[in-house]
Amino acid sequence: MAVIEARGLTYTYPESKKPALVDVDLVVEEGEFVILTGPSGCGKTTLCRCLNGLIPHFYGGELRGELYVAGMNVKEHKTWELAQHVGLVFQNPENQLFSLTVEKDIAFGPENLGLPREEIRNRVDWALDRTGTTPLRYRAPYELSGGQQQRVAIASTLAMKPKVLVLDEPTSFLDPRGAQRIFETVNRLNKELGITIILVEHRLDLASVYADRVIVMNDGRIALDGTPKEVYLSGETEALGVGVVKVVKLYQLLEETGLRLRDVPISPKEASKLLREVLSP
Amino acid sequence: MSIFEGFVFRRIDTPIHRLDPRVKFLYTLVTLVLAILFNEFLALFVLFVGQLPLIWVARVQRSWARTMKGSLALVLLIFFTNLLTRWAYAGFRLHPVYLEESLAMTLRFLILVESFSIFSLTTSPDDLSLAMEQAGIPYWFCFAFTTSIRLMPAIARDAQTIVNAQRSRGLELERGNFLTRIKNYIPILVPLIVTTIRRSLELAEAMESRAWGATEKRTSLTQLEMGKTDYIATVFLLILLALAIYIRVSTRIPNLTSLIL
Ligand SMILES: Nc1ncnc2c1ncn2[C@@H]1O[C@H](COP(=O)(O)OP(=O)(O)OP(=O)(O)O)[C@@H](O)[C@H]1O
Ligand SMILES: [Mg+2]
Repeated sequence: MAVIEARGLTYTYPESKKPALVDVDLVVEEGEFVILTGPSGCGKTTLCRCLNGLIPHFYGGELRGELYVAGMNVKEHKTWELAQHVGLVFQNPENQLFSLTVEKDIAFGPENLGLPREEIRNRVDWALDRTGTTPLRYRAPYELSGGQQQRVAIASTLAMKPKVLVLDEPTSFLDPRGAQRIFETVNRLNKELGITIILVEHRLDLASVYADRVIVMNDGRIALDGTPKEVYLSGETEALGVGVVKVVKLYQLLEETGLRLRDVPISPKEASKLLREVLSP
Repeated sequence: MSIFEGFVFRRIDTPIHRLDPRVKFLYTLVTLVLAILFNEFLALFVLFVGQLPLIWVARVQRSWARTMKGSLALVLLIFFTNLLTRWAYAGFRLHPVYLEESLAMTLRFLILVESFSIFSLTTSPDDLSLAMEQAGIPYWFCFAFTTSIRLMPAIARDAQTIVNAQRSRGLELERGNFLTRIKNYIPILVPLIVTTIRRSLELAEAMESRAWGATEKRTSLTQLEMGKTDYIATVFLLILLALAIYIRVSTRIPNLTSLIL
Protein backbone atom coordinates (compact mmCIF):
# COMPACT_ATOMS: atom_id res chain seq x y z
CA MET A 1 0.00 0.00 0.00
CA ALA A 2 1.29 3.46 -0.83
CA VAL A 3 1.92 5.55 2.25
CA ILE A 4 3.03 8.62 0.29
CA GLU A 5 1.44 9.56 -2.99
CA ALA A 6 2.24 12.80 -4.80
CA ARG A 7 0.90 13.77 -8.20
CA GLY A 8 2.04 16.86 -10.03
CA LEU A 9 3.11 18.49 -6.78
CA THR A 10 4.24 22.06 -7.42
CA TYR A 11 4.97 24.54 -4.68
CA THR A 12 6.00 28.18 -4.58
CA TYR A 13 7.03 29.90 -1.33
CA PRO A 14 5.22 33.17 -0.59
CA GLU A 15 7.06 36.20 -2.01
CA SER A 16 8.97 33.89 -4.30
CA LYS A 17 8.67 33.77 -8.08
CA LYS A 18 10.33 30.49 -8.91
CA PRO A 19 8.66 27.31 -7.63
CA ALA A 20 10.77 25.23 -5.18
CA LEU A 21 9.03 22.01 -6.27
CA VAL A 22 8.03 21.40 -9.86
CA ASP A 23 5.61 18.70 -10.92
CA VAL A 24 6.80 16.06 -8.46
CA ASP A 25 5.32 12.58 -8.89
CA LEU A 26 6.23 10.20 -6.13
CA VAL A 27 4.84 6.98 -4.72
CA VAL A 28 6.42 5.44 -1.64
CA GLU A 29 5.22 2.06 -0.41
CA GLU A 30 4.82 1.25 3.26
CA GLY A 31 8.04 -0.06 4.81
CA GLU A 32 10.40 1.36 2.18
CA PHE A 33 13.73 2.94 3.13
CA VAL A 34 14.28 5.85 0.78
CA ILE A 35 17.31 8.11 0.54
CA LEU A 36 16.58 11.54 -0.86
CA THR A 37 19.56 13.47 -2.12
CA GLY A 38 20.54 16.20 -4.53
CA PRO A 39 22.51 19.43 -4.73
CA SER A 40 21.93 22.23 -2.23
CA GLY A 41 18.76 24.21 -2.88
CA CYS A 42 17.14 21.51 -5.03
CA GLY A 43 14.06 21.30 -2.82
CA LYS A 44 14.67 18.37 -0.46
CA THR A 45 13.75 20.27 2.69
CA THR A 46 10.75 21.76 0.90
CA LEU A 47 9.49 18.27 0.05
CA CYS A 48 9.95 17.15 3.69
CA ARG A 49 7.89 20.14 4.85
CA CYS A 50 5.09 19.10 2.52
CA LEU A 51 4.99 15.60 3.95
CA ASN A 52 3.71 16.68 7.37
CA GLY A 53 1.74 19.70 6.24
CA LEU A 54 4.14 22.43 7.43
CA ILE A 55 3.69 23.36 3.80
CA PRO A 56 1.12 24.79 3.20
CA HIS A 57 -0.25 25.32 6.76
CA PHE A 58 2.81 26.88 8.43
CA TYR A 59 4.57 28.39 5.41
CA GLY A 60 1.64 29.51 3.28
CA GLY A 61 2.51 29.91 -0.37
CA GLU A 62 0.90 28.11 -3.25
CA LEU A 63 0.66 24.32 -3.33
CA ARG A 64 -0.71 22.74 -6.50
CA GLY A 65 -1.20 19.10 -7.37
CA GLU A 66 -2.10 16.30 -4.99
CA LEU A 67 -0.32 14.91 -1.96
CA TYR A 68 -1.65 12.10 0.19
CA VAL A 69 0.27 10.93 3.23
CA ALA A 70 -1.05 7.95 5.19
CA GLY A 71 -4.27 8.35 3.25
CA MET A 72 -4.74 12.00 4.23
CA ASN A 73 -4.76 14.94 1.90
CA VAL A 74 -2.17 17.32 3.37
CA LYS A 75 -4.10 20.35 2.20
CA GLU A 76 -7.09 19.33 4.31
CA HIS A 77 -5.38 18.08 7.44
CA LYS A 78 -3.51 20.24 9.91
CA THR A 79 0.08 19.54 10.93
CA TRP A 80 -0.97 18.27 14.35
CA GLU A 81 -3.10 15.58 12.68
CA LEU A 82 -0.43 14.62 10.18
CA ALA A 83 2.20 14.61 12.95
CA GLN A 84 0.59 11.48 14.35
CA HIS A 85 1.46 9.64 11.15
CA VAL A 86 4.58 11.41 9.92
CA GLY A 87 7.47 12.26 12.20
CA LEU A 88 9.88 14.96 11.07
CA VAL A 89 13.45 15.15 12.40
CA PHE A 90 15.35 18.32 11.58
CA GLN A 91 18.93 19.11 10.75
CA ASN A 92 19.80 21.16 13.82
CA PRO A 93 19.26 19.13 16.99
CA GLU A 94 19.50 22.25 19.16
CA ASN A 95 16.27 23.81 17.94
CA GLN A 96 14.01 20.79 18.16
CA LEU A 97 14.44 19.92 21.82
CA PHE A 98 12.45 22.04 24.24
CA SER A 99 12.81 20.72 27.74
CA LEU A 100 15.41 20.25 30.41
CA THR A 101 15.22 16.48 30.53
CA VAL A 102 15.28 13.99 27.71
CA GLU A 103 12.26 12.24 29.20
CA LYS A 104 10.15 15.39 29.19
CA ASP A 105 11.17 16.15 25.64
CA ILE A 106 10.07 12.77 24.39
CA ALA A 107 6.78 13.24 26.23
CA PHE A 108 6.15 16.62 24.55
CA GLY A 109 4.27 15.22 21.52
CA PRO A 110 2.04 12.74 23.39
CA GLU A 111 1.34 15.44 26.00
CA ASN A 112 0.14 17.76 23.26
CA LEU A 113 -2.23 15.04 22.10
CA GLY A 114 -3.73 14.92 25.58
CA LEU A 115 -3.12 11.18 25.99
CA PRO A 116 -3.62 9.57 29.40
CA ARG A 117 -0.57 9.81 31.65
CA GLU A 118 -0.06 6.04 31.74
CA GLU A 119 -0.02 5.87 27.94
CA ILE A 120 2.50 8.73 27.73
CA ARG A 121 4.76 6.93 30.19
CA ASN A 122 4.61 3.73 28.14
CA ARG A 123 5.38 5.54 24.93
CA VAL A 124 8.34 7.35 26.50
CA ASP A 125 9.78 4.07 27.80
CA TRP A 126 9.26 2.46 24.43
CA ALA A 127 10.80 5.31 22.41
CA LEU A 128 13.82 5.47 24.75
CA ASP A 129 14.32 1.75 24.38
CA ARG A 130 13.99 1.73 20.60
CA THR A 131 16.56 4.47 20.10
CA GLY A 132 19.01 3.27 22.73
CA THR A 133 18.63 6.46 24.75
CA THR A 134 17.37 4.93 28.02
CA PRO A 135 20.62 5.84 29.88
CA LEU A 136 20.10 9.50 28.88
CA ARG A 137 16.60 9.66 30.32
CA TYR A 138 17.21 12.24 33.05
CA ARG A 139 19.98 14.17 31.30
CA ALA A 140 19.48 17.68 29.94
CA PRO A 141 19.43 17.75 26.11
CA TYR A 142 21.85 20.67 25.94
CA GLU A 143 24.59 18.73 27.71
CA LEU A 144 24.44 15.80 25.26
CA SER A 145 26.61 15.28 22.20
CA GLY A 146 25.14 16.11 18.80
CA GLY A 147 24.65 12.44 18.01
CA GLN A 148 22.87 11.78 21.30
CA GLN A 149 20.68 14.84 20.78
CA GLN A 150 19.72 13.63 17.34
CA ARG A 151 18.77 10.20 18.68
CA VAL A 152 16.65 11.92 21.32
CA ALA A 153 15.01 13.93 18.55
CA ILE A 154 14.24 10.67 16.76
CA ALA A 155 12.85 9.22 19.99
CA SER A 156 10.60 12.22 20.47
CA THR A 157 9.04 11.85 17.04
CA LEU A 158 8.84 8.10 17.56
CA ALA A 159 6.70 8.68 20.65
CA MET A 160 3.99 9.90 18.29
CA LYS A 161 3.91 6.36 16.81
CA PRO A 162 4.33 7.51 13.21
CA LYS A 163 4.05 5.30 10.12
CA VAL A 164 6.60 7.43 8.31
CA LEU A 165 9.77 8.97 9.66
CA VAL A 166 11.26 11.82 7.64
CA LEU A 167 14.80 12.88 8.55
CA ASP A 168 16.21 16.05 6.98
CA GLU A 169 20.00 15.79 6.95
CA PRO A 170 20.07 14.49 10.53
CA THR A 171 23.81 13.88 10.43
CA SER A 172 25.14 17.10 8.96
CA PHE A 173 26.38 18.30 12.37
CA LEU A 174 27.82 14.90 13.33
CA ASP A 175 31.10 13.07 12.89
CA PRO A 176 31.14 9.84 10.83
CA ARG A 177 30.74 7.61 13.87
CA GLY A 178 27.78 9.59 15.19
CA ALA A 179 26.27 9.46 11.70
CA GLN A 180 26.76 5.70 11.55
CA ARG A 181 24.88 5.25 14.82
CA ILE A 182 21.98 7.35 13.54
CA PHE A 183 21.75 5.25 10.39
CA GLU A 184 21.81 2.03 12.43
CA THR A 185 19.07 3.32 14.75
CA VAL A 186 16.92 4.38 11.81
CA ASN A 187 17.56 1.09 10.03
CA ARG A 188 16.37 -0.86 13.05
CA LEU A 189 13.15 1.17 13.17
CA ASN A 190 12.65 0.35 9.51
CA LYS A 191 13.40 -3.37 9.68
CA GLU A 192 11.92 -4.21 13.09
CA LEU A 193 8.88 -1.93 13.19
CA GLY A 194 8.26 -1.52 9.46
CA ILE A 195 8.36 2.28 9.69
CA THR A 196 8.76 3.92 6.29
CA ILE A 197 11.93 6.01 6.16
CA ILE A 198 12.62 9.09 4.09
CA LEU A 199 16.22 10.05 4.78
CA VAL A 200 17.65 13.24 3.26
CA GLU A 201 21.36 12.59 3.18
CA HIS A 202 24.64 13.53 1.54
CA ARG A 203 26.72 10.79 3.14
CA LEU A 204 25.80 8.20 0.55
CA ASP A 205 28.86 6.05 1.32
CA LEU A 206 27.59 5.33 4.79
CA ALA A 207 23.83 5.38 4.29
CA SER A 208 23.33 3.52 1.02
CA VAL A 209 23.61 0.00 2.45
CA TYR A 210 20.40 0.46 4.38
CA ALA A 211 18.30 1.90 1.56
CA ASP A 212 15.90 0.17 -0.82
CA ARG A 213 15.69 3.19 -3.03
CA VAL A 214 17.54 6.38 -3.87
CA ILE A 215 15.87 9.50 -5.21
CA VAL A 216 17.97 12.33 -6.61
CA MET A 217 16.35 15.74 -6.95
CA ASN A 218 17.53 18.60 -9.07
CA ASP A 219 16.09 22.07 -9.37
CA GLY A 220 12.76 21.18 -7.76
CA ARG A 221 12.24 18.02 -9.80
CA ILE A 222 12.92 14.35 -9.30
CA ALA A 223 15.88 13.60 -11.57
CA LEU A 224 16.68 9.98 -10.74
CA ASP A 225 14.71 7.33 -8.90
CA GLY A 226 15.60 3.68 -8.45
CA THR A 227 17.47 1.15 -6.37
CA PRO A 228 20.85 2.39 -5.11
CA LYS A 229 22.66 0.32 -7.72
CA GLU A 230 20.56 1.57 -10.62
CA VAL A 231 20.96 5.18 -9.59
CA TYR A 232 24.69 5.04 -8.89
CA LEU A 233 25.45 3.13 -12.10
CA SER A 234 23.40 5.46 -14.26
CA GLY A 235 26.41 7.76 -14.51
CA GLU A 236 24.26 10.81 -14.05
CA THR A 237 24.87 11.39 -10.37
CA GLU A 238 28.20 13.11 -10.90
CA ALA A 239 26.72 15.59 -13.34
CA LEU A 240 24.09 16.47 -10.73
CA GLY A 241 26.78 17.22 -8.18
CA VAL A 242 25.87 14.32 -5.91
CA GLY A 243 28.83 12.55 -4.35
CA VAL A 244 29.72 9.20 -5.90
CA VAL A 245 29.72 6.13 -3.73
CA LYS A 246 33.34 5.06 -3.64
CA VAL A 247 32.85 1.31 -3.90
CA VAL A 248 30.58 1.80 -6.92
CA LYS A 249 33.30 3.95 -8.48
CA LEU A 250 35.76 1.16 -7.73
CA TYR A 251 33.46 -1.32 -9.47
CA GLN A 252 33.31 0.89 -12.55
CA LEU A 253 37.08 1.44 -12.66
CA LEU A 254 37.72 -2.29 -12.35
CA GLU A 255 35.28 -2.93 -15.15
CA GLU A 256 37.11 -0.45 -17.39
CA THR A 257 40.34 -2.34 -16.84
CA GLY A 258 38.62 -5.61 -17.65
CA LEU A 259 37.95 -7.00 -14.20
CA ARG A 260 34.27 -7.64 -13.80
CA LEU A 261 32.75 -8.28 -10.39
CA ARG A 262 29.69 -10.52 -10.12
CA ASP A 263 27.59 -7.72 -8.62
CA VAL A 264 27.72 -4.02 -7.79
CA PRO A 265 28.93 -3.49 -4.22
CA ILE A 266 27.27 -0.82 -2.08
CA SER A 267 29.40 -1.13 1.06
CA PRO A 268 33.11 -1.81 1.59
CA LYS A 269 32.15 -5.13 3.13
CA GLU A 270 30.30 -6.23 -0.01
CA ALA A 271 33.15 -4.98 -2.14
CA SER A 272 35.71 -7.04 -0.26
CA LYS A 273 33.55 -10.15 -0.57
CA LEU A 274 33.07 -9.67 -4.30
CA LEU A 275 36.78 -8.96 -4.80
CA ARG A 276 37.74 -12.09 -2.94
CA GLU A 277 35.50 -14.11 -5.27
CA VAL A 278 37.39 -13.01 -8.38
CA LEU A 279 40.84 -12.98 -6.82
CA SER A 280 40.88 -16.41 -5.18
CA PRO A 281 40.08 -19.12 -7.73
CA MET B 1 26.11 39.06 31.33
CA SER B 2 27.59 37.80 34.58
CA ILE B 3 24.61 38.89 36.66
CA PHE B 4 22.52 36.43 34.63
CA GLU B 5 24.91 33.55 35.00
CA GLY B 6 23.88 33.14 38.59
CA PHE B 7 20.32 32.55 37.49
CA VAL B 8 21.00 29.61 35.20
CA PHE B 9 19.73 26.33 36.54
CA ARG B 10 21.84 23.18 36.64
CA ARG B 11 20.32 19.86 37.57
CA ILE B 12 21.94 18.40 40.66
CA ASP B 13 20.44 16.45 43.50
CA THR B 14 20.30 18.30 46.82
CA PRO B 15 17.53 18.74 49.41
CA ILE B 16 16.95 22.28 48.16
CA HIS B 17 16.67 21.17 44.54
CA ARG B 18 14.17 18.52 45.58
CA LEU B 19 11.84 21.02 47.28
CA ASP B 20 8.58 21.76 45.50
CA PRO B 21 8.92 24.92 43.36
CA ARG B 22 5.85 26.37 45.04
CA VAL B 23 7.54 26.10 48.42
CA LYS B 24 10.63 27.80 47.05
CA PHE B 25 8.46 30.50 45.58
CA LEU B 26 6.86 31.02 48.99
CA TYR B 27 10.36 31.23 50.44
CA THR B 28 11.32 33.99 48.00
CA LEU B 29 8.11 35.79 48.78
CA VAL B 30 8.62 35.56 52.55
CA THR B 31 12.18 36.86 52.19
CA LEU B 32 10.87 39.74 50.13
CA VAL B 33 8.28 40.62 52.77
CA LEU B 34 10.83 40.36 55.58
CA ALA B 35 13.32 42.53 53.72
CA ILE B 36 10.69 45.22 53.31
CA LEU B 37 9.38 44.85 56.85
CA PHE B 38 12.73 45.63 58.45
CA ASN B 39 15.01 48.52 57.70
CA GLU B 40 17.48 48.10 60.53
CA PHE B 41 20.97 47.00 59.65
CA LEU B 42 21.06 44.29 62.34
CA ALA B 43 17.83 42.63 61.23
CA LEU B 44 18.76 42.71 57.57
CA PHE B 45 22.21 41.39 58.36
CA VAL B 46 20.67 38.39 60.14
CA LEU B 47 18.37 37.84 57.18
CA PHE B 48 21.28 37.95 54.74
CA VAL B 49 23.56 35.67 56.72
CA GLY B 50 20.69 33.35 57.64
CA GLN B 51 20.23 32.44 53.98
CA LEU B 52 23.87 31.63 53.34
CA PRO B 53 23.75 28.02 54.61
CA LEU B 54 21.05 27.25 52.00
CA ILE B 55 23.53 28.16 49.28
CA TRP B 56 25.99 25.61 50.58
CA VAL B 57 23.36 22.93 51.05
CA ALA B 58 22.24 23.49 47.47
CA ARG B 59 25.90 23.45 46.33
CA VAL B 60 25.48 26.52 44.15
CA GLN B 61 28.20 28.69 45.78
CA ARG B 62 30.08 29.27 42.54
CA SER B 63 27.20 30.51 40.41
CA TRP B 64 25.88 32.45 43.37
CA ALA B 65 29.20 34.17 43.92
CA ARG B 66 29.27 35.09 40.25
CA THR B 67 25.83 36.70 40.47
CA MET B 68 26.96 38.63 43.50
CA LYS B 69 30.05 39.82 41.69
CA GLY B 70 27.91 40.74 38.71
CA SER B 71 25.66 42.90 40.86
CA LEU B 72 28.60 44.79 42.38
CA ALA B 73 28.10 47.88 40.23
CA LEU B 74 24.46 48.14 41.28
CA VAL B 75 25.39 47.57 44.90
CA LEU B 76 27.87 50.45 44.85
CA LEU B 77 25.36 52.66 43.11
CA ILE B 78 22.69 51.97 45.72
CA PHE B 79 25.11 52.49 48.59
CA PHE B 80 26.50 55.80 47.40
CA THR B 81 23.16 57.20 46.29
CA ASN B 82 21.80 56.48 49.75
CA LEU B 83 24.81 57.92 51.49
CA LEU B 84 24.89 61.06 49.35
CA THR B 85 21.20 61.84 49.77
CA ARG B 86 21.43 61.40 53.52
CA TRP B 87 24.52 63.53 53.64
CA ALA B 88 22.94 66.28 51.52
CA TYR B 89 19.67 66.10 53.44
CA ALA B 90 21.45 66.59 56.74
CA GLY B 91 23.04 69.80 55.47
CA PHE B 92 26.25 68.17 54.16
CA ARG B 93 27.20 66.63 57.48
CA LEU B 94 28.24 63.05 57.89
CA HIS B 95 27.25 60.82 60.79
CA PRO B 96 28.04 57.10 61.31
CA VAL B 97 24.28 56.40 61.39
CA TYR B 98 24.03 57.43 57.73
CA LEU B 99 26.66 54.90 56.90
CA GLU B 100 24.73 52.21 58.73
CA GLU B 101 21.44 53.15 57.10
CA SER B 102 22.99 53.17 53.64
CA LEU B 103 24.53 49.78 54.30
CA ALA B 104 21.12 48.52 55.40
CA MET B 105 19.51 49.65 52.16
CA THR B 106 22.27 47.95 50.19
CA LEU B 107 21.79 44.77 52.20
CA ARG B 108 18.10 44.87 51.41
CA PHE B 109 18.92 44.76 47.71
CA LEU B 110 21.47 41.99 48.25
CA ILE B 111 18.90 39.90 50.13
CA LEU B 112 16.52 40.12 47.20
CA VAL B 113 19.23 39.10 44.73
CA GLU B 114 20.29 36.34 47.11
CA SER B 115 16.90 34.74 47.55
CA PHE B 116 15.89 35.14 43.92
CA SER B 117 19.13 33.56 42.83
CA ILE B 118 18.64 30.64 45.27
CA PHE B 119 15.20 30.16 43.78
CA SER B 120 16.25 30.21 40.16
CA LEU B 121 19.48 28.27 40.65
CA THR B 122 17.67 25.37 42.27
CA THR B 123 14.37 25.30 40.40
CA SER B 124 14.15 23.58 37.05
CA PRO B 125 12.26 25.75 34.55
CA ASP B 126 10.34 22.56 33.70
CA ASP B 127 9.13 22.29 37.30
CA LEU B 128 8.40 25.98 37.41
CA SER B 129 6.28 25.60 34.31
CA LEU B 130 4.45 22.67 35.92
CA ALA B 131 3.76 24.77 39.01
CA MET B 132 2.38 27.55 36.84
CA GLU B 133 0.26 25.12 34.82
CA GLN B 134 -1.16 23.58 37.97
CA ALA B 135 -1.99 27.07 39.18
CA GLY B 136 -4.18 27.41 36.10
CA ILE B 137 -1.96 29.60 33.93
CA PRO B 138 -2.43 28.76 30.21
CA TYR B 139 0.14 26.34 28.86
CA TRP B 140 1.29 28.54 25.97
CA PHE B 141 2.31 31.19 28.47
CA CYS B 142 4.22 28.73 30.68
CA PHE B 143 5.95 27.34 27.61
CA ALA B 144 6.97 30.78 26.35
CA PHE B 145 8.25 31.66 29.80
CA THR B 146 10.43 28.57 30.25
CA THR B 147 11.65 28.72 26.67
CA SER B 148 12.89 32.25 27.15
CA ILE B 149 14.80 31.16 30.25
CA ARG B 150 16.21 28.16 28.42
CA LEU B 151 17.26 30.16 25.36
CA MET B 152 19.11 32.84 27.29
CA PRO B 153 22.45 30.96 27.36
CA ALA B 154 22.09 29.92 23.70
CA ILE B 155 21.49 33.49 22.59
CA ALA B 156 24.40 34.69 24.73
CA ARG B 157 26.55 32.11 22.92
CA ASP B 158 25.33 33.34 19.53
CA ALA B 159 26.17 36.90 20.54
CA GLN B 160 29.70 35.89 21.49
CA THR B 161 30.18 34.09 18.16
CA ILE B 162 29.02 37.15 16.25
CA VAL B 163 31.27 39.46 18.29
CA ASN B 164 34.25 37.23 17.51
CA ALA B 165 33.36 37.01 13.82
CA GLN B 166 32.96 40.77 13.47
CA ARG B 167 36.15 41.45 15.43
CA SER B 168 38.09 39.18 13.11
CA ARG B 169 36.74 41.33 10.28
CA GLY B 170 38.24 44.37 11.95
CA LEU B 171 35.32 45.72 13.94
CA GLU B 172 36.49 47.65 16.98
CA LEU B 173 33.91 47.85 19.72
CA GLU B 174 35.78 49.92 22.30
CA ARG B 175 36.59 52.86 20.14
CA GLY B 176 35.35 56.40 19.76
CA ASN B 177 32.98 58.49 21.82
CA PHE B 178 29.72 57.37 23.35
CA LEU B 179 27.69 57.67 20.14
CA THR B 180 30.20 55.90 17.91
CA ARG B 181 30.39 53.11 20.45
CA ILE B 182 26.66 52.58 20.23
CA LYS B 183 26.94 52.60 16.46
CA ASN B 184 29.69 49.99 16.71
CA TYR B 185 27.16 47.59 18.11
CA ILE B 186 24.89 47.65 15.05
CA PRO B 187 26.94 45.02 13.17
CA ILE B 188 26.49 42.81 16.25
CA LEU B 189 22.80 43.44 16.82
CA VAL B 190 21.55 42.95 13.28
CA PRO B 191 22.93 39.42 12.79
CA LEU B 192 21.96 38.55 16.37
CA ILE B 193 18.35 39.51 15.75
CA VAL B 194 18.36 37.59 12.47
CA THR B 195 19.76 34.40 14.04
CA THR B 196 17.33 34.67 16.93
CA ILE B 197 14.37 34.99 14.58
CA ARG B 198 15.63 32.04 12.56
CA ARG B 199 16.02 30.04 15.76
CA SER B 200 12.46 30.86 16.82
CA LEU B 201 11.12 29.82 13.43
CA GLU B 202 12.91 26.48 13.60
CA LEU B 203 11.61 25.99 17.11
CA ALA B 204 8.06 26.76 16.01
CA GLU B 205 8.39 24.33 13.13
CA ALA B 206 9.58 21.58 15.44
CA MET B 207 6.72 22.30 17.85
CA GLU B 208 4.16 22.11 15.04
CA SER B 209 5.68 18.81 13.94
CA ARG B 210 5.03 17.41 17.37
CA ALA B 211 1.34 18.20 17.45
CA TRP B 212 1.48 21.53 19.24
CA GLY B 213 -2.05 22.80 19.76
CA ALA B 214 -3.73 19.45 19.06
CA THR B 215 -6.03 19.75 22.05
CA GLU B 216 -7.03 22.22 24.71
CA LYS B 217 -6.76 19.57 27.39
CA ARG B 218 -3.09 18.84 27.37
CA THR B 219 -1.83 16.17 29.75
CA SER B 220 1.48 16.31 31.53
CA LEU B 221 3.83 13.40 32.04
CA THR B 222 4.68 14.47 35.56
CA GLN B 223 2.71 16.22 38.24
CA LEU B 224 3.97 18.12 41.21
CA GLU B 225 3.13 16.59 44.53
CA MET B 226 3.91 18.10 47.90
CA GLY B 227 5.90 15.70 50.06
CA LYS B 228 6.43 15.64 53.81
CA THR B 229 9.50 17.88 53.62
CA ASP B 230 7.55 20.37 51.51
CA TYR B 231 4.81 20.66 54.14
CA ILE B 232 7.35 21.00 56.91
CA ALA B 233 9.18 23.74 55.00
CA THR B 234 5.91 25.57 54.33
CA VAL B 235 4.89 25.49 57.99
CA PHE B 236 8.37 26.62 58.97
CA LEU B 237 8.23 29.58 56.56
CA LEU B 238 4.81 30.64 57.84
CA ILE B 239 5.96 30.47 61.45
CA LEU B 240 9.02 32.50 60.51
CA LEU B 241 6.82 35.12 58.89
CA ALA B 242 4.51 35.31 61.91
CA LEU B 243 7.48 35.54 64.25
CA ALA B 244 9.02 38.34 62.21
CA ILE B 245 5.80 40.31 62.21
CA TYR B 246 5.54 39.83 65.96
CA ILE B 247 9.10 41.07 66.48
CA ARG B 248 8.41 44.02 64.23
CA VAL B 249 5.44 45.26 66.25
CA SER B 250 6.67 44.34 69.70
CA THR B 251 10.38 45.16 69.82
CA ARG B 252 12.59 48.01 68.90
CA ILE B 253 15.72 46.82 67.14
CA PRO B 254 18.68 48.98 68.20
CA ASN B 255 21.02 50.37 65.63
CA LEU B 256 24.59 49.25 65.57
CA THR B 257 26.01 52.73 65.79
CA SER B 258 24.36 53.42 69.15
CA LEU B 259 25.57 50.05 70.48
CA ILE B 260 29.16 50.79 69.57
CA LEU B 261 29.36 54.49 70.37
N1 LIG C 1 11.33 29.64 3.80
C1 LIG C 1 11.62 29.86 2.49
N2 LIG C 1 11.12 30.93 1.86
C2 LIG C 1 11.40 31.16 0.56
N3 LIG C 1 12.15 30.36 -0.20
C3 LIG C 1 12.70 29.26 0.37
C4 LIG C 1 12.46 28.96 1.75
N4 LIG C 1 13.12 27.84 2.06
C5 LIG C 1 13.74 27.45 0.93
N5 LIG C 1 13.48 28.29 -0.11
C6 LIG C 1 13.98 28.17 -1.49
O1 LIG C 1 13.46 26.98 -2.03
C7 LIG C 1 14.44 26.29 -2.78
C8 LIG C 1 14.63 24.89 -2.24
O2 LIG C 1 15.18 24.97 -0.95
P1 LIG C 1 15.32 23.74 0.03
O3 LIG C 1 15.66 24.28 1.36
O4 LIG C 1 14.13 22.89 -0.07
O5 LIG C 1 16.59 22.99 -0.59
P2 LIG C 1 17.42 21.76 -0.03
O6 LIG C 1 17.46 20.75 -1.10
O7 LIG C 1 16.88 21.33 1.28
O8 LIG C 1 18.87 22.37 0.14
P3 LIG C 1 20.00 22.06 1.24
O9 LIG C 1 20.73 20.86 0.78
O10 LIG C 1 20.85 23.29 1.19
O11 LIG C 1 19.32 21.89 2.56
C9 LIG C 1 15.70 27.13 -2.72
O12 LIG C 1 15.78 27.88 -3.90
C10 LIG C 1 15.48 28.03 -1.53
O13 LIG C 1 16.08 29.27 -1.73
MG1 LIG D 1 17.65 21.28 3.27
